[in-house]
Amino acid sequence: MAIDVKGVLSPLSAIGTLFEHPRTITYPEVKKEIPRGYRGFHINDLESCIGCANCQEVCMNEAIDMVHPDREYNPKNGSGCVPRIDYGRCCWCSLCTDVCPPSSLKLNNECIHADRDSNNFLYMPKNRKDIS
Amino acid sequence: MSDLKNTIKIFHGPQHPGITGNMSVELDLLGETIKRAQTHVGYLHRGFEKLVERRTVVQAFTIVCRICVPEPDPNEENFARAVENLTGLEISEKAKYIRTMILEMQRLATQFLWMGGQAGSIGLGLIPQWSVCDRDYMLDLFEELTGGRVYHMYAFPGGVRRDIPDGFLDKLSDLMNYYEKRITVYNNTFFDNTIFKSRAIGVGVVNADEALKNGYVGQTLRACGIKRDVRRDMPYLKYDQLEFDIPTRTEGDVYARALVRRDEMLQSIRILRQIIKQMPKDGEILQKIPKHRKFKLPADDTYVQTESARGAMSYYMAGDGSEKIRRMQVRGPSLVHAYTLLEKLLVDSQLADVAMTMNSLGICPPEIER
Repeated sequence: MAIDVKGVLSPLSAIGTLFEHPRTITYPEVKKEIPRGYRGFHINDLESCIGCANCQEVCMNEAIDMVHPDREYNPKNGSGCVPRIDYGRCCWCSLCTDVCPPSSLKLNNECIHADRDSNNFLYMPKNRKDIS
Repeated sequence: MSDLKNTIKIFHGPQHPGITGNMSVELDLLGETIKRAQTHVGYLHRGFEKLVERRTVVQAFTIVCRICVPEPDPNEENFARAVENLTGLEISEKAKYIRTMILEMQRLATQFLWMGGQAGSIGLGLIPQWSVCDRDYMLDLFEELTGGRVYHMYAFPGGVRRDIPDGFLDKLSDLMNYYEKRITVYNNTFFDNTIFKSRAIGVGVVNADEALKNGYVGQTLRACGIKRDVRRDMPYLKYDQLEFDIPTRTEGDVYARALVRRDEMLQSIRILRQIIKQMPKDGEILQKIPKHRKFKLPADDTYVQTESARGAMSYYMAGDGSEKIRRMQVRGPSLVHAYTLLEKLLVDSQLADVAMTMNSLGICPPEIER
């Protein structure tokens, strides 16, 4: 039986990669840059949210509750409520932001959340002003 | 059945690392030789088809990408195109180009993931590390374009949800140059590797008559000499204006299927380069559509097909005049490959070849249990 010389020798070319730079990053010392349009946590501009609950209605996972905010909000907010997101249910589809009439609800590129208390997954979107 | 008297029974999966997802194959072994194989599914049932019937069109759109985890975009495309067919929505030229682009990007990403599974199943541990890393570069681009790495939720009835970011096409072009070089590296280390050849040649052979009779699709069909591809046979989006070849082989074994996949990756790079050149600068990306409670499907039905990275993926959709989908039926490559084909191919093959054969067929369990 003939020996497949090329098939035996060509895989040895992989040795060359020993002299290349590693592709991995040393997380958490070095963090990966998250692109601008990433679908991460919600932010809500409380000054323009009108409390219409369109976001709650379109969410098929029932991840959004409308609650009274503990901060100052838009005086034109008809219901006096703003969305609160349950991240145990949210699938980050972003439909809630698509149907927001004043475009106050957005997704931010912040996406890391860890806590011992599962109730902390009920997340009140940060005011857009606070983070910009 | 008398042959099975002296056999022992083992389950290959659902936890086995060589299995392509949450399913198992019940094997009757005589020594190392398989005498009977039975596919078992049910570990991953989520009932997508039924879930879709309970939601509005807009809400249902976010579910379909989950039908096949490594390959969500053909599902999104089928869903969007079926709704467009039913409602008469016309999408713009730019949206067509973007959708074609994302389908080809997904094809490349899926093939890199497949390459990792295929090489890992025969013990070549280096290739999965490389190919998953290379796939990640594509996921980075998906992240930038759609906002999500795996579930993109991007192709929407009426177009796409976002425009292309500035500088995206240049990055894609650079990635294509990189991928072309990488495929040469994979040729040296994997496709021409004598270990892979000696394991894969002559194993899991499918013949053309059987493939046609049983409705096999994708590389399984093309590796036994049948030149069938939905992109060419029933062109959709911009495929009728793009130049590409349909790679085929005649051997029909695991190795032939691998080579067909590799050649298809090169064709995807060729298609993406044409799209980068032809992409319109301006144009609508999403047609105006009714609000989600008012988005009603007429009492009609439609059938659409998309060539996924693993073969033809088809959707049947029927509306009843309400805002909900009356019935949606998904036909992917996995069901027929995991039952009709895999059970037959494994008989009289070796235990060590199970994972390799399974990987070569492009089986995705959530698609079986949709």
